[in-house]
Amino acid sequence: MVYIVVVYDMQADRTRLMLNFLRKYLTHVQNSVFEGEVTEGDLETIQNKTRETLKSDESAIIYRMSSEKYVDRMVVGEDPTDDARFL
Amino acid sequence: MDRNYHIFSDGCLERHNDTVRLVTLDGEKKYLPIEKAEAVYLHGQIDYNTRLVSFLNKHGVALHIFGWNDYYAGSVMPKRGQTSGRTLVEQVRAYDDPGHRVDLARKFVAGSIHNMRSNVSYYNRRGHDFDSILTTLADTRDRLAETTDVAETMGVEATARRAYYSTFDAILPDGFVFDGRRYNPPDNETNSLISFANSLVYANVVSAIRATALDPAVSYLHEPGERRYSLALDIADLFKPLLADRVIFRLLNRNQLTTDDFETDLNSCLLTESGRQTFSKAFEESLEETVEHPRLDRNVSYQYLLRIEAYKLKKHLLTGEAYISFKRWW
Repeated sequence: MVYIVVVYDMQADRTRLMLNFLRKYLTHVQNSVFEGEVTEGDLETIQNKTRETLKSDESAIIYRMSSEKYVDRMVVGEDPTDDARFL
Repeated sequence: MDRNYHIFSDGCLERHNDTVRLVTLDGEKKYLPIEKAEAVYLHGQIDYNTRLVSFLNKHGVALHIFGWNDYYAGSVMPKRGQTSGRTLVEQVRAYDDPGHRVDLARKFVAGSIHNMRSNVSYYNRRGHDFDSILTTLADTRDRLAETTDVAETMGVEATARRAYYSTFDAILPDGFVFDGRRYNPPDNETNSLISFANSLVYANVVSAIRATALDPAVSYLHEPGERRYSLALDIADLFKPLLADRVIFRLLNRNQLTTDDFETDLNSCLLTESGRQTFSKAFEESLEETVEHPRLDRNVSYQYLLRIEAYKLKKHLLTGEAYISFKRWW
């Protein structure tokens, strides 16, 4: 398992494409920012699908950490990932 | 390992843009990453439709529904991904062979007693005097070898469990009494917690068995009953001391759950929504705890231990490799 943060920059009317796709795997934390733990295989899928989705002037950046344990995460304000499993 | 999602709000659960979305009664929309879900636990009043069910089915995600009384109301299981006629035949053969069946039954009980004993000895080291209970549990374990049929094995299990439960009143904090196991519905706070905790263990085992080709209705210690997954009962018994009872003791002794988290009715006592939420959180955290597995030589989560148990049983039935039931080793 790896912990990833995905940020993307797309034309305003196309952001929902990434939004809808990434929601299947990760937690939506802010506009155009997702994070969460995924398997190596899922990471591969995310990379491939992202490559297909993006147009030439758009980009996505995936930050990858070997595990959630190695992320020193500081949140100021309300944490959007709080209890994402208890709805 | 995929995760369990618990839904406490009331509202509507639906398929939306190829993932699952919860729309609560006040219109709030929350998304659930389908690719990472093992099972969804419904505690609130939720509407859903066939589109959702077939979507969950496609992703192999189970829906476990919790209601009143003893909490577990039923499951909507995905279609079997694993089918193997040979496994089923071997599973039934083992059931039908009295020697083989009682051998497996004894192993389930031996594991349960070991795990109960490990809880008792934990509290024995922490200011309680449970020496006599520990002796009783060791005696029942030794008596297991002499049992000749399943009814007798069940009897030994009952003796052990009674001795184990007799420690509860001493371990629990003031304000909580146990006074014997009662259910349908539970009549006091402790019984209510045990019912809720056991039903969560049970649902998780149902999911774990589904990952194998084993038939959940063909069991060894419990009589294969109608209308229930009795193999899940066999396996769940092994894990209740670790997954249910320890979490209960911890939450009560740390005051994270108090009598305010229960609703008492005429002759029932049930957890409130916030009580269920507190417990489910602690329960999920404990499922995620990991231990080093000596044979697999890596860390595995408690949740994965359930899966391993199902795999071991299947392997035993198919290859004859000895089945060694789960005994807490750390």
